[in-house]
Amino acid sequence: MKRVYPVEERCINCHLCEVACIVSHSRTKTALGAYQVEKLSFNWVRPHALDPAVALAEGTPLPLNRCRVDVQGSVFISTSCRHCQEPDCVKACKNGSLYLDEVGRVLLREDHCVGCWMCLMACRYGAIERNPYVKNVPGQESNGINHHCDLCRDRSHPACVSICPTQALVYEERGSS
Amino acid sequence: MGNTTTLSDNPRVSNPANTNGSKSGLPPATSPKSDLMGLQSLRPDDHFHSYPEYFVERRHEECIRCLVCVRQCPYDCTYYDPDRDVVYNVHQNCVNCKRCVAMCPTHCIRIERFDSGFRDNGHWGTHLVRGLRKQADTGGVLLTGLGNDLPYPSYFDRIVLDASQVTNPSIDPLREPMELRTYLGRKPESYRPGSPGEVFPNILCEIPVLFAPMSFGAISYNFQHGLALAAQEMGTYFNTGEGGLHPDFRKFRDSVIVQVASGRFGVDPDYLLSSAACEIKIGQGAKPGIGGHLPGEKVNAEISRTRMIPVGTDALSPAPQHDIYSIEDLRLLIYAIKEATEYTRPVSVKIAAVHNTAAIVSGIVRAGADIVVIDGFRGGTGAAPMIIRDHVGIPVEVALAQADQRLREEGIRHQASIIAAGGIRNSADVVKAIALGADAVYIATSAMIAVGCTLCQQCHRGLCAWGITTNRPDLLPRLPADQAAGRLTGLLRGWQHEIQEMLGLMGLNSIESLRGNRLKLRGVGLTQLELQTLGIRQAGL
Ligand code: SF4
Ligand code: SF4
Ligand code: SF4
Ligand code: SF4
Ligand code: SF4
Repeated sequence: MKRVYPVEERCINCHLCEVACIVSHSRTKTALGAYQVEKLSFNWVRPHALDPAVALAEGTPLPLNRCRVDVQGSVFISTSCRHCQEPDCVKACKNGSLYLDEVGRVLLREDHCVGCWMCLMACRYGAIERNPYVKNVPGQESNGINHHCDLCRDRSHPACVSICPTQALVYEERGSS
Repeated sequence: MGNTTTLSDNPRVSNPANTNGSKSGLPPATSPKSDLMGLQSLRPDDHFHSYPEYFVERRHEECIRCLVCVRQCPYDCTYYDPDRDVVYNVHQNCVNCKRCVAMCPTHCIRIERFDSGFRDNGHWGTHLVRGLRKQADTGGVLLTGLGNDLPYPSYFDRIVLDASQVTNPSIDPLREPMELRTYLGRKPESYRPGSPGEVFPNILCEIPVLFAPMSFGAISYNFQHGLALAAQEMGTYFNTGEGGLHPDFRKFRDSVIVQVASGRFGVDPDYLLSSAACEIKIGQGAKPGIGGHLPGEKVNAEISRTRMIPVGTDALSPAPQHDIYSIEDLRLLIYAIKEATEYTRPVSVKIAAVHNTAAIVSGIVRAGADIVVIDGFRGGTGAAPMIIRDHVGIPVEVALAQADQRLREEGIRHQASIIAAGGIRNSADVVKAIALGADAVYIATSAMIAVGCTLCQQCHRGLCAWGITTNRPDLLPRLPADQAAGRLTGLLRGWQHEIQEMLGLMGLNSIESLRGNRLKLRGVGLTQLELQTLGIRQAGL
């Protein structure tokens, strides 16, 4: 199966992959619509917005990129879910919200996830984020749902790969991972 | 050069963490002017004379606060204020490199002139006033990059090409063979079928366009790698400049001309033999008569290895080659290199175009050079004093025409090939230069523009936003070598087709027939003396 692989030495820390990720998962599918109408944003912006109660009440941006650029000095790398062949997260998920689809992508049944975070603890790559703005268990204090790369399931080609100006992300077949 | 400064660096606002970002990837939130609470300093010793030159206009209603522009600007110009949730600019630091404009995903940035400049004055241009004020602030030599940007007239723009009509047929390069192959080096005295006589080493160019000397250090590792790949692909050559040849690039030995300059950086027998040709650098069009200067902060481990100098030391090459004070001395070095390479490669000598170029070129050819490079005053540089870049040297067109004429008159034109350099902008300039007497041309600025350069003239600062003239690890990946090679190859292929078209319309089917063929040129708007100097006729005659 084709997966997204980062090429560390080509990454220029522009974060356009995160922009494209957010836009491709938005309802409006345009940059201005995603950011200004839907109030989507990055998980590195405004840490206070991570409190969902505050964010939803104030209408402040929702940080929801699925790939993220890790920065260490002058080394940059855009990371996202590896779509493992034997995914620990799928094994750990206790109600079947995470599953391997027919082509090998690890996907989420968004209306199943109860936010128990077994997946988050099981993933050895730290590829799972929390989306605190969707709640499947009404009344429950915490949680939200699992949030990770779905290889742009609505598109033929992942958006981050398409936008990357230096081809620091490649979408290719490399056998098992 | 000791105390040097630039028009746009401003120590008052500096934030080295800017492009590196913090650990979280979020650029530092503090304002660069927090010590002044965002106010302009009015202290005279604090650059109070530096008025902004450019204005970064951002349509905030279309800005999505992605901070791409903040991370991409290497000139401490773009910041994010989390309290106001706006991206803003310190306008006087903007150099109009247009990196942010190109990268902004919503295209909401526009760079404008900050204002009208100083009051209109035919004598005191705004650039002069800015330079003077800057100099009074710092007491230094104003450094700059790239080539002479003053509006001197261009002879290329006053020369037009002939075309065939009725009395002589034009040739269609898509249907008939069209030869662009060029051999550079000394040619035999005469040729008789069956007995070729003495044959001299020549290098073969599939297209008469070579990449000019640009040293690793002045340019990035990736850009030099891209030049090497493109030269190999297109059957032409790149030139190391005076910075040595990195071990990784020794595999391109068939596509590289290695330079021996006054600093002798990175020169040893293996270097000379890892080449297609060797070149002695006497001068550079952008700064005739002065040496090179690679600031110590740019000398990292790789550059130190390649140049064979310690990390962090200034690489200062002397103004003259201290063992060359005459044509006889030059002959000694030419033959020392020929001996070292066992007469297997042509040896080139590169000079800046100056007032008596023709006589100098004649001397160089008699000293044994197989190729002579004439570098005109529009040629670029990685770093030079602005006053020298802008006021010293002459246009390559006249120097070339005079040198070719002189060598012909003396009957020694066949003893050396001529490469014209310095300000070749398109394929028409190539054709005009060849018709004026060159065998081939060197291009550098055109090649840089092909890979992204926006002519912001900040090359000397080592912060190139496009990754071309920097080796800072966070900026280097902005120009991947394979992308550079692809664009350079595209440029040369485009020129190849255009040169073939131009030859065809002149009724020629090989570049050989164009060389020194000044009847194919006519001058427009030139004086009698200028026409005579160029050796061309007035349009209409
Ligand atoms: S778009 Fe490409 S270069 Fe930019 S941060 Fe993402 S992976 Fe790196
Ligand atoms: S979330 Fe982690 S464990 Fe699950 S498939 Fe992705 S990388 Fe593998
Ligand atoms: S990236 Fe270049 S054009 Fe943009 S603000 Fe910075 S210096 Fe100015
Ligand atoms: S790159 Fe454009 S959209 Fe992003 S923060 Fe800068 S101006 Fe705003
Ligand atoms: S090479 Fe870079 S620094 Fe130099 S003029 Fe071009 S864009 Fe500016």
